[in-house]
Amino acid sequence: MTSEAALRIVIAGARAGIEPGGITRRAGGPEKLLTASVERLERLGLPDSFARELRRARRADVAAFRAELAESGTVCATLADAGYPAALRELHDPPLAVFLRGALAEAPLPAPAGAVAIVGARRPTDAGLRIARRLGAFAAGRGVTVVSGMALGIDAAAHGGALDTGGPTVAVLGCGTDIAYPRRHRGLYERILESGIAVSEYPPGTAPAPWRFPARNRLIAALAATLVVVEARARSGALITADHALDLGRDVVAVPGAAGSSAAAGTNGLIKSGAGLVEDESDLAVWLGIDAPEAHPPPADAEACALLDRLSGAPAFPDELAGSDGPGRIAALLSRLEVDGWVARDASGRYTLARAWTPTGSPPSTATAR
Amino acid sequence: MVARALTLWLTGITARRVDVEAHVADGLPSFVVVGLADRAVQEARQRVRSGMTSAEFRFPIKRLTVNLAPAQERKEGSGFDLAIALALLAASGQAPRERVARVAAAAELGLDGGLRPVRGALAMAEAAGRVGVDALVVAPGSAAEAAMAGTVPVIAARSLRHVVDILADRDEPDPIPDAPPAVAATVPDLADVRGQPRARRALEIAAAGGHNLLMTGAPGSGKTMLARRLTGILPPPGPDEVLEITRIHSAAGLLAPGTRLSGRPFRAPHHSASAAALVGGARLRPGEVTLAHRGVLFLDELPEFNRAALEALRMPLEDGEVLVSRVAGSVRLPARCMVVAAMNPCPCGLAGDPDRECTCPPQRLHAYRSRVSGPLLDRLDLRVEAPRADAHAAAGEPTSAVAGRVALARRRLADDPPAVSDAAAALLDRAVDGMLLSGRGADRARRVAATIAALEGAETSSADHMAEALSFRGAAA
Repeated sequence: MTSEAALRIVIAGARAGIEPGGITRRAGGPEKLLTASVERLERLGLPDSFARELRRARRADVAAFRAELAESGTVCATLADAGYPAALRELHDPPLAVFLRGALAEAPLPAPAGAVAIVGARRPTDAGLRIARRLGAFAAGRGVTVVSGMALGIDAAAHGGALDTGGPTVAVLGCGTDIAYPRRHRGLYERILESGIAVSEYPPGTAPAPWRFPARNRLIAALAATLVVVEARARSGALITADHALDLGRDVVAVPGAAGSSAAAGTNGLIKSGAGLVEDESDLAVWLGIDAPEAHPPPADAEACALLDRLSGAPAFPDELAGSDGPGRIAALLSRLEVDGWVARDASGRYTLARAWTPTGSPPSTATAR
Repeated sequence: MVARALTLWLTGITARRVDVEAHVADGLPSFVVVGLADRAVQEARQRVRSGMTSAEFRFPIKRLTVNLAPAQERKEGSGFDLAIALALLAASGQAPRERVARVAAAAELGLDGGLRPVRGALAMAEAAGRVGVDALVVAPGSAAEAAMAGTVPVIAARSLRHVVDILADRDEPDPIPDAPPAVAATVPDLADVRGQPRARRALEIAAAGGHNLLMTGAPGSGKTMLARRLTGILPPPGPDEVLEITRIHSAAGLLAPGTRLSGRPFRAPHHSASAAALVGGARLRPGEVTLAHRGVLFLDELPEFNRAALEALRMPLEDGEVLVSRVAGSVRLPARCMVVAAMNPCPCGLAGDPDRECTCPPQRLHAYRSRVSGPLLDRLDLRVEAPRADAHAAAGEPTSAVAGRVALARRRLADDPPAVSDAAAALLDRAVDGMLLSGRGADRARRVAATIAALEGAETSSADHMAEALSFRGAAA
C-alpha cells in the first residue's frame, strides 16, 4: 500500500460521505480498489456516489492536497506511513489515514500506556462534571495524556481538567480537525490546539455527521490503555467506547453512581459486569501505575472537620448547614474550606466535597445539627 | 394687539421656559397655533375657546395667531392651555397685560373654564424660580407640590376667571397646604418571610452597602418576597431625596395630584420591557431605572429580559445617570438605584432540587445561563442561591430590627469605612491564585467585606469578613 493511494481513497470517501476503510479491505487494498474494473466495483457493492468519486480520485492532485494540509498545519499519516499511530493499528478496522492538528501534532502520539481516556455523558450531573475534571487534572498533572472526544459534558470537563494543569490532552473528533464542534466548544477547541492535539480520521472540511461520532469512539478506545467512564446512562455512547476498549484488551474502569440513579445506570452496569471502580484520584493512580496523590493534612479546625463530615454524606446549601450562630459564620467557614480546596460549589450553589475526605466521626457539633 | 404670557415645558424631569405670544388682528376669523406644537397642543384651541366662553370672557372673532417660542423645538402636552388663554385675554384687553407677562402659568383648561393639574409641577416651580417670574399660577391640585420647591410664590387658582381676578387684584388665591400629604407605599414586613437565613443576610448586606444583588433559586423560594421588603430596611430618604423622588414621579405622571412620595420607590418592570422602557426615551420620559432613583429596581426572571434592554442598563448603573437622546432632544436623567435581580436555576426551575430531577436539555440550560453573563452580571456584587423554602421554618426578624443595623452600618461606612486587614488581603490573594475569582471579583469581594465589617462594627475587615464576602461571589457556571 502506498500512502498516495490511501489518500486518494480517503479523499473519495470524504467527498462521497462514506467510511471507505471496510470497502478498501474487502477490495484487497487501496491500489486494487483504485484500479478495479467497473464490474469488480459493482460486485463489491459500492454506492454509486463512491464509485463516481473513486474515478475522480484517480486523477486527484494528491500533491496539492498535501500542500494544503501542510499550509493549514495539519499532519497526515496513512496506514502506509511509519508515522501512523501504532495504537490504531491494533484496531480490526483502522482508519486509512488520520489527520492531526495542534501544538503536539508533529510529535508521535503517546503510547497507550502513557494515556488515559476519560469519556461520559453529554448531559452529566454536577458531581460527574467535577470528578471528570479532577481526574483529567490529576492524570495530566502526572504527565499522562488525557484522551477524550471533546463532546459536551464529561468529555469537555476531562479536557478542561487536563488543560488547567497544562498537561497533554488529545481530542478525537467526529469531523475535520479544522472544525470546532459542538460550536459552543470553540474556546476549548482552541485551547486544545494550543497545547495538545485534535485527531480525526476525516480530512479537513468534513462536516460533523451523527454516524461519525460512534465511529471515532473506537479511536478513543485504542489510544489509551485505560478507559474511564465517568457517567453514562443506559445505552450511552460511552458504553460503545467501553465495548471497543474491551475488544482491544484495554482496561475499563467506571466511576460509580448512586444505586438506582438513571444518570449512572450505564456506569453501574459496567461495574456489575466487572469493570474496575474508580472513586477518586488515588483509585485512578493504581490503574495508571502512577504515584497516588499526596495526602492533604486535614483542617486543624474541629468545626471545619465536622462540616466536611457532614458534606461527605451529600452536598448541601449553606442554609442546611447553618447552626444557631447565624448564616454569616457558616458562609465564612465554607469559603475558607473552598479556598483550601476542600469543598466546591455546584451550579445550583450547593457545597460539596472537592477531594477525598475520610470522615473523622467527631461528635456532631452545632455545625452538623439542623 | 400683541400680548405675551409665560409657561413651562417639561423635558425629561426638568422644565424650560416657553413664551406664548398672542396676536389679535382684523381679518377673516381664524385661530392658529405655531411653534412646532404637537397634536395635544393644537387641541388646546378647542379647550381655550370653550374655557374662555364658559368663564364668560369674550372669544375674539378675529384673526388669532399664537406662537410658542423657542419655535424650533417640538412641544407636546396640555400644560400650555392656561398660558394661551391668558395671552389671548391680555391681547384682547380682557386681562392686565403687564401682570400676565410677569407670571408663569401651567395648567390644563377644562371646557367649563376650570383649571386642572399638570404633571411635573415641582420641576416647573424650580424652573420658574430659575427664569425669574413674579409667581407661578397652577391648579389647586398642583399647588402643594409646586410649593415644595420653595423658589417662587405659587398662586393656586380654581378657574380661568379666578386667575384673571387674582391678577387684577380683585380676588385672593386659594390657600396652599403646608406640605402635600405623603403617599408611602406600604412595604411588607420581613417577618413574613420564613427561613432563607442566607438570602436574608445577603439582603441586609446589600442594603447596608448599597450593593446590587442577584438571587438564584427555585420558583416559590421567596426571592420576590425578599426583594419587595428591601425598601423597608433601607434608611428613609432625606428631604432632598424626597424632592428628587417626587420630581421624577410627578414628571412621569405617576403621582396623584397634590401628593408627594415619602418612601423609596420600588420598581419591578416586567421582563418584556424594552430598552426605552427601562432607561427612558419614549418622548423623553423617565424610564424604570430613573423611576427607581434612590430606591430599588427589581428585575425578576433576569434571563428572560431582552438582551438589548439589559445592555442599555449598563451605563446608567455605572454613572448613576442616563443620557437619553431622541429627535426631540436629549436629556440627562438621574438613575442612582440598587438593582435586585432574581432568576431560576434553570428554565424548568428544578436544577439543584434534591427531590426532583431537572429536565432541561443541556443546550437550553446553557443558553439560559449564558443570557445573564456579561457586563450586567459584573455589576451584581452579591450573588446568593436561595434553595426551595422550608414551609415550617421559623419566621425571621422583623424589618425594624434589620433596618436598625443597616442604618448603623451605613453611617459607619460613610464616616469611617473599614480597611482591609492583612489577614483578609492574604485570604483574597489565595482565592485569586486558586482561580476562584477574577480581578474584578476580588474588587467586589473587598467592597462586600467592608460592608460586612461595618455591619459588625469592626474597624477593619477581618479574614472572616472576607471569607463570608467570598461566599457571595455566585456559584460556578
